[in-house]
Amino acid sequence: MRSRSTPTPCRSALLATLLLSLVAAAPRAAGAAAPTKVSLGATLPLTGAEARIGGFFKEGYELAVEEANQKGGLTVGGKKLPVTLSILDDTTTQATAVSLADRLVNSDGVDFLLGTYSSHLVEAQSTIGEQNRIPYVNGGGGATKIYKRGFKYLFGTIAPVELLGTTLMSWIDVQQKAGKLPRPAKIALLWENTAHGKDFRKGVSDFAAKSGGAYQISVDESFPLDGKDFSALLGKVKAANVDLFLADAHLPDYITMHRQYVAAGLCHKVVSYGARGSEKGAVDALGQENVNYVVSGVWWSAELGKKPGLAKAFVELFTSKHQGRKPEWFQALAYESARALFTAIEQAGSLDREAVRAKLAALKIPSMLPGGTLEFPASMGQQAQNPFVLQQNLPDRTSPIIFPPDAATGTGIAVNPRCPK
Amino acid sequence: MSAATPALVPLRVAAGFVVGVALLAVAPWILDFTPYSHNLVTLAFLLISGAVAWNWMGGFLGQVSFGHAALFGMGGFVSARLLLSGPVPAPLAWLVGGLVAGVFSLGAHPALRLRGPYFSIATIGLGESVRLIFTYWEDFTGGSSGLSLPIDPDMKHQLYWWGLGLAAIVVGMSWLMRHSTFGLQLLAIKADVDAAGDVGVSATFYQDLVFVLSGAVVGVSGGLYASYFSFIEPNDMFGFDRSIAFVLMTVIGGVGTILGPVLGAIVFVLLRQYLLASYPDLYLGLYGTLLIFIILFEPLGLAGLLGRLARLARSWRAPAAEGGTP
Amino acid sequence: MERFIDLSLSAIMLAGLYATMAYGLGLIYGVLRVVNLAHGGVIMAGAYLGWVLFERWGIDPYLALPLVIVASFGLGILMYRLLVRHLPRGPAGGPASLLLLFGTWLVLRNVAYLLFTGNDQSIRTSYSTASVPFLGTYVSVNRLAVLGVAVILPILLQLLLKKTYTGRAIRAVAQNADSCTLVGVDVERIYALTFGIGTALAGVAGLLSATIFSFNPGFGSGELLKSFVVVVLGGLGSILGVGLAAFILAVVEVFAILVLPSYLTSAVGFVMLVLVLVLRPGGLFGHRVLG
Repeated sequence: MRSRSTPTPCRSALLATLLLSLVAAAPRAAGAAAPTKVSLGATLPLTGAEARIGGFFKEGYELAVEEANQKGGLTVGGKKLPVTLSILDDTTTQATAVSLADRLVNSDGVDFLLGTYSSHLVEAQSTIGEQNRIPYVNGGGGATKIYKRGFKYLFGTIAPVELLGTTLMSWIDVQQKAGKLPRPAKIALLWENTAHGKDFRKGVSDFAAKSGGAYQISVDESFPLDGKDFSALLGKVKAANVDLFLADAHLPDYITMHRQYVAAGLCHKVVSYGARGSEKGAVDALGQENVNYVVSGVWWSAELGKKPGLAKAFVELFTSKHQGRKPEWFQALAYESARALFTAIEQAGSLDREAVRAKLAALKIPSMLPGGTLEFPASMGQQAQNPFVLQQNLPDRTSPIIFPPDAATGTGIAVNPRCPK
Repeated sequence: MSAATPALVPLRVAAGFVVGVALLAVAPWILDFTPYSHNLVTLAFLLISGAVAWNWMGGFLGQVSFGHAALFGMGGFVSARLLLSGPVPAPLAWLVGGLVAGVFSLGAHPALRLRGPYFSIATIGLGESVRLIFTYWEDFTGGSSGLSLPIDPDMKHQLYWWGLGLAAIVVGMSWLMRHSTFGLQLLAIKADVDAAGDVGVSATFYQDLVFVLSGAVVGVSGGLYASYFSFIEPNDMFGFDRSIAFVLMTVIGGVGTILGPVLGAIVFVLLRQYLLASYPDLYLGLYGTLLIFIILFEPLGLAGLLGRLARLARSWRAPAAEGGTP
Repeated sequence: MERFIDLSLSAIMLAGLYATMAYGLGLIYGVLRVVNLAHGGVIMAGAYLGWVLFERWGIDPYLALPLVIVASFGLGILMYRLLVRHLPRGPAGGPASLLLLFGTWLVLRNVAYLLFTGNDQSIRTSYSTASVPFLGTYVSVNRLAVLGVAVILPILLQLLLKKTYTGRAIRAVAQNADSCTLVGVDVERIYALTFGIGTALAGVAGLLSATIFSFNPGFGSGELLKSFVVVVLGGLGSILGVGLAAFILAVVEVFAILVLPSYLTSAVGFVMLVLVLVLRPGGLFGHRVLG
């Protein structure tokens, strides 16, 4: 009975061979004749867990490409070449991100790669750049670990998350020295168990360890990404009676956790969810009154565009294209990644991957990122080290930059006025 | 194919099998694979091995496991740890990974006396607890930031033949299992555990044996997978989605058949590579629809469908030959 | 002491949520012997339905309950008539039903992606973050409401099963479908109704979860896994057992934080699931079909 419904192994082997050749029947990349265009490839999480942010990165990449093409393309060896960018959806899955990058390089024949978003995808995908010796510039993989593998073709415009923790603590330290916060200050440190969260934790706890007893970490707990019920965890925070509440979370966890935080009647002198806080989506979901005075640290903010300069030009360009919507750090880092690659290509004067790689490694250009310069220091594994900017949500629905002082557009309020005296 | 104890593999089958494998072994040169195709086929081999091994449990034994990612991840991380610890030859690391995964699968031994959905639910529980514990176990898995292996393009290139070898061995094992007393015993257990016990088939022993074999193969393919991607991360390796992928591949191809999981894995890769690039919005739904149609209309999946087509072709050809008209 | 009160309250609130998530799964298994893997998908659909009703028409989630119940009941009937009805019954149908309903879930998820994109959404009402003081601590008003629904639902369900003809028929079918056919009960109709009620309960769970958590089309898999644990602990198919099991799971998970790192507390439930399955396959309270 089975023999009739199952083809014999003999036939099956041949059939499998046939099907596998179908898999293999991918078009071959065109040979290297005189280039007529600069072709770039990228995958982004357009569906799956990171779909929202993948969409933001896409906007940033596309804006950079449009801008370059409006100027007639990139000047490569005295000739203007148009830029094309093919973006595929990696569904927020590592294996897909790797396979599709492989496809972009070895089947579609792109010249260079732009990166995907979120650390674990970048860490997996950047191996393709390295194996094929293709420069890979990303603005979405912030974990330091990615850049400690000695990769030569991997460049990150996104500063390490560790620095976010350090910057946050530096601001807190200034407040403590001014007598606004108790000394020693007790910290509750909650981090999502991802590369992102671990780096944040390292930044904060290293700072606390070096502070000579000015800070004491009373709660140090991780939680799973997409954790649902944080009440037990928040109960632990409550019992520890801390002064500073420092968490690192993705947007959905921020919303869920902060709702439970507010409903549990918690309030701390400083409240931060790492990079989250000022997003419109979060304000809508939580209510302005509940996100007031939350401090967030980001790689870039549209607030930087209040002063004349590159950031202002970018904000204007973006808002005019997107009907007044302001860009967030996602679009900015994506745009800067593409721009860094464009600059290196023009400097190299050819599409030769080695030449472009060398130019990227030596790159030092004015940038809209905090700090004003973009470079990929070799000592840091070619990861940019631009400082973070801290923002604080205010009741008037603004989120001015409060730190570092040279970028500040407002003054930070250290002791959360929401808390009852 | 009713012979319960064939002394030898029929020549025709063996020849077909050897020719098929040989063709695949030389295919990269004959078909002039691009590096992309080369890698894609390699990946297909790895998934084939995993799906075929899952089928031993889910198809031959009728124990549908939703937790095979635990074994896959185990194999992957043990191999990766070994490869990172010093100059260990990669094949040895994969083998050890597989062995550890095989032994590890015995941890589910108590669950094996559960049948049907109870077993499936237990494997979900096991899989998820293993994922959480291993994601937390920083020293072994690197925690949520995972482990990176050194980049080795030559190794990745060679994986094609290692993968092919593994897939060939596993498919061969499948055939042998199906055409031996062992296979009949598994069928007896699948049909009715208690009755099988009554006629002297030790259900516990055979279930353990199949589970260990299945775990070992899935573990080895996990090890190869680690070398292929050079970066593995516990939430991905141990994830529920990966467990589901084994089920999907096998069901789409044909549960309990020899060819089914092979076809299923290939279709899985094809769908992911082509549909994902062209219709990213629809791929989940396509998988879902495919699954629904297969369960409702062709429980033997693509393998069953092919069987039907073959019969149809034969019955169409036979009268045609007699009557002389097409 | 205050810590103990805090944790106990957390556990009770969490138990309410777990119970609402699990009733539907338990009911369907108890009567049809089908593990509804699409449960997570229906929870997600319920969440989005509540969100649409709230965002577009400003209908408060709790007032939207009847609408969501009717809509997901309809979805359940549809799923039964189109798909589940064709499954083989008995043990052979086990794996097939898992896979069929998993396929349904994938389709539901895809539809949600197409309709609502992958963005995270949440329902924010005026009382989303409101809380009332209680024994020196604060209790979220919304969580109290969820708890209320979790307590009322099984009472209503029990009334339905005990007092109405349909309910008695459902219980009879759960115990012995064949003899029901003999005495003239339309078993197919009862199955469809039960599946409908089960998915309606899942829809309610989705709506209630949406008032607490943010969600996207992938929402529901965590909820499904928790429901599994609860239903298995309670003995597959016993409604009151589900309530008790939800409470036990919540207590164990919440109090685990005293001895375990927070990250591992959710593993406790899964370990319990496996232990109970292996040691007491009938659930903690024995196997009673709709008591």
